[in-house]
Amino acid sequence: MEHTSTLERVLRGAALALVVIFFMFPLFWIFMMSFQTNETILRIPPSIVFEPTLSNYAALITGRLETAAGTLEINFLRTLWNSVFLSVTSVAVALLLGVPAAYAFARHKFRGSEDIAFTLLSFRFAPPLLVLLPLTIYFQQLGLSNTYFGLVWVYQLICLPLILWIVRGYFEDISADVEYAYRIAGHSWFATFRKIALPLAGPGIAAAGLLAFIFAWNNFVFALVLASADKQPVTVGALAFVTASGIQYGQIAAAIVLSITPTLALALYAQRYLVEGLSLGAVKG
Amino acid sequence: MYEREKDLVDAFIRGQVDRRGLIKGLGALGLTAAMGGTLLAMAQSRAMAADFDWQAHKGKSLKLLLNKHPYADAMIANLQAFKDLTGMEVTYDVFPEDVYFDKVTAALSSGSSEYDAFMTGAYMTWTYGPAGWTEDLNQWIKDPAKTSPTYAWDDVLEGVRKSCAWNGQPGGTLGSDDAKQWCIPWGFEQNNITYNKEMFDKVGVQPPKDLDDLVAVAAKLTKDVGNNVYGVGVRGSRSWATIHPGFLSAYANFGQKDLNVTDGKLSAAMNTAESKAFHAKWVEMIQNSGPKDWSTYTWYQVGTDLGAGASAMIFDADILGYFQNGGTKEAGKLAFHGFKANPAAEAPTPNIWIWSLAMSSFAKDKDATWYFLQWASSVEHAIFGATKHDFVNPVRNAVWKDEMFVEKLKKYPGYFEMFTASAPGASIKFTAQPLFFDLTTEWAATLQKMVAKQVPVDEGLDQLAQSIDGQLKDAGLG
Amino acid sequence: MTAAATARARPSGFRISKRVLPYVLSLPALLVCIGILIPFLTAAWYSLHRYRLSQPWGYKFIWFDNYAAFFTDPKFWNTLQISLTYAATTVVLELLLGLGIALLLQKRTTLNNFISIMLLLPLMTAPALAALMWKLMTNPGFGILSYLAGLIGLHDFRWASSPSTALFTVVLVDIWVYTPFIMILLLAGLRSLPTQPFEAAALDGVPRTFVFFRITLPMLTPYILTATLFRLLDSIQQFDIIYAMTQGGPGDTLTVFQVEAYLNFFQSTNVGRSAALMIILWAITYFLSNIFIKNWLRLRERARGNG
Repeated sequence: MEHTSTLERVLRGAALALVVIFFMFPLFWIFMMSFQTNETILRIPPSIVFEPTLSNYAALITGRLETAAGTLEINFLRTLWNSVFLSVTSVAVALLLGVPAAYAFARHKFRGSEDIAFTLLSFRFAPPLLVLLPLTIYFQQLGLSNTYFGLVWVYQLICLPLILWIVRGYFEDISADVEYAYRIAGHSWFATFRKIALPLAGPGIAAAGLLAFIFAWNNFVFALVLASADKQPVTVGALAFVTASGIQYGQIAAAIVLSITPTLALALYAQRYLVEGLSLGAVKG
Repeated sequence: MYEREKDLVDAFIRGQVDRRGLIKGLGALGLTAAMGGTLLAMAQSRAMAADFDWQAHKGKSLKLLLNKHPYADAMIANLQAFKDLTGMEVTYDVFPEDVYFDKVTAALSSGSSEYDAFMTGAYMTWTYGPAGWTEDLNQWIKDPAKTSPTYAWDDVLEGVRKSCAWNGQPGGTLGSDDAKQWCIPWGFEQNNITYNKEMFDKVGVQPPKDLDDLVAVAAKLTKDVGNNVYGVGVRGSRSWATIHPGFLSAYANFGQKDLNVTDGKLSAAMNTAESKAFHAKWVEMIQNSGPKDWSTYTWYQVGTDLGAGASAMIFDADILGYFQNGGTKEAGKLAFHGFKANPAAEAPTPNIWIWSLAMSSFAKDKDATWYFLQWASSVEHAIFGATKHDFVNPVRNAVWKDEMFVEKLKKYPGYFEMFTASAPGASIKFTAQPLFFDLTTEWAATLQKMVAKQVPVDEGLDQLAQSIDGQLKDAGLG
Repeated sequence: MTAAATARARPSGFRISKRVLPYVLSLPALLVCIGILIPFLTAAWYSLHRYRLSQPWGYKFIWFDNYAAFFTDPKFWNTLQISLTYAATTVVLELLLGLGIALLLQKRTTLNNFISIMLLLPLMTAPALAALMWKLMTNPGFGILSYLAGLIGLHDFRWASSPSTALFTVVLVDIWVYTPFIMILLLAGLRSLPTQPFEAAALDGVPRTFVFFRITLPMLTPYILTATLFRLLDSIQQFDIIYAMTQGGPGDTLTVFQVEAYLNFFQSTNVGRSAALMIILWAITYFLSNIFIKNWLRLRERARGNG
């Protein structure tokens, strides 16, 4: 494995460079756009030379956008906060419910376990559009519409199956022997779970949580339909810059940059866990 | 404070001083236009309050569902006047246009009582009305106990007013005697030509006289302006929005229809020889002088291209051109032109989009909600919005006679003339029926196939008519 | 084996019967999700009705007529075909590309780790917004990608607006957004593979292609299955990218299930047809994931038996 030829290293480097360009270039361009006015973005042909401006970010942060058609009030930071709150809470709840369940499926082959696990997974492939109308009606009857509680509940459809299936794989891969020894020493089931199983599965849980976070963050149809304007996530909030008097590309670009930042920070922080943690199904020892 | 100013403004409201006198007088008193506007709004509230009990619903509160739009912005800017006038509380949810109607449909179809009134387009009420989600507003308009004597419903442009009224019968004539007023028109868009005067002058062409001329002028512009500028911008996405602006306006000018109505039965009418000839010209125009990626073009791309100087003219909503004439690269160079596609026609007959206000059937207090609708569609608010904000085009005749508004429009060459030439013939040219969106989406998809040369025009229209007839039969309408 | 191990354990402290414990652990998750079954069943019930919101008087139970109508409806077959084509194309391409990138980044270096995180950025961009930006970037006038395509001689490339390239364009955006998802799962898999078989193979001088196809790939299969499963379920339900870029056009080129159902529901308010379409989509995904899960369990059993 160590003896790679120069040619191979060059080829690998070139391939990697192409990959990075393909995936990074559109984002680089969006990043550049976020420092431009609509007028410089809409030039023919497009050009990379421009006078940078912070006006897009200023508009997003102050919530006031000056256009030819007057001042637009856009509460962007509020939607950003909603996204953070909804995604964090949903993932936290999903971890709380999903990790013990994943442990149960991994460690105990009980009657109906595969059926329950599959049912939980199947919730992920119920098309949201299918359940939207009945869901709205029932939410109204239950008084759940326009509540964070209701939204966090619905978000479990996105987060829970993902967490459950990734973490389950991880639990199955760590040998049960350590836990067994610990319990022989006279510790309770719960102590074993908390002191042994959870720390060992830590990376897997972190990685699954991060992926679930990303999917929750990107969703918008549930909040749009089930909640009023003050509870909308940033994905809906950014669309406010698609206005009757034109699409404010600069602001949308800035909104994308701002909305990626929290997730990116989280990913960089959990970098090691991310790659190690997704080693579901690994065959160790 | 401001006693003398108040007197002057009140005199204006009573009609003793004309607008110019008012502006001059206020100027002499050292007031800025903005402060004058505030005083005007206050005075209007006092005038409105004079002969009608606006305080009848004092203390109640309403919630509105609004689209992110200059009309909504203008209303929100004036909302305090309504609160002061009535003593009511009003809150609102504003959603981006991209997802606005999804939100409305979701809220109404689930019977949510969260919103009392909402913005809508007239086409949408062809679904909302029969579905039982909106109220027939005639109940209030025609009740003198509930509507102010100064409301002047007749002041609303007739074609626009009638376009928002339908008896609910598939194919029923809009504005018939038994029609229900599903919504109140607020502001509307006529589809005409907005052109880049500088480019027209450079190439030496005049605004087109009719459809053949449009095809020719657009081709010449595409060829001669240079810098990859194309001749004419029209919408092309796979949506009803492609059919209703320029396309249907020109189509109707030739006396062509979407559907035939005979004995209450509907059938497709777009495969006549005249219609085929029209479609052939339209398709040719897009192929030769339209945007290259026409089939993805929505309101936004058509407008953006005009404002950024990528297109030389658009055949679309007049207010789209209006918005592009400020804050863009080509700002100040745009001019407006009432367009009549048929050389034999006497005047333009634009199909129109009407942003309207409707009352939810699930509203908690309908009389109170009507107070808001009545105020928001009043002459007073229309003048405020049209002069201080971008509330164009207002649907009230009174505003078009308002000097300040006419003065403001001078920055938009030809706009006033364009408006007056086409307003008498402006109305919805579609047949009102429940399959409106099915029909128009398929129509747009067929146009896309024709432009992409996947199907010849004649054959495409025959297929479309056949498919539409089938769907009408399935739905029990044909 | 593991179940037996726990069964032999003697727990102290508060006791929960071993038979009950797994249910206690998994039921909360199930209960939280089970709520969704009720709206699901309601929607299935709608699909058995003539149900147009704009014609409430026509509401009627019609058994399976909505489904039966699909058989003779060319639009439906077009939808089915394009949905499957789209899903198959995106998943296969993303899998190949994702695997390739994972192999490039396999070595644990700081740079590789950093690149792998940066490559997740497209996944973090909401698809609806990403599509909006791609639409601008492929605009023939203002679009940087159109401009760059022009530089390499593709002057008249129409991207999403031409029937011949629309599928290519949306697949390209899908690849851009979702390849990172597969890449990160496979990268994690690659890095967790045991080293002994590879060392042994290197010592024996086994050719690299042989090692890849006979050792790496088989050992990686469970990861590939998981990644494919999640991606396939999402891809066959693709909506955001296609709708934002083309609204299903030009013509009927891209009228996939979700776009059709969306238009049927939100614009035509034909709830019956929309629900029937969605139930069929659900059935397809249910069927596909069943196959996957069976194989997944089997493969895992085998892997564990071997290990």
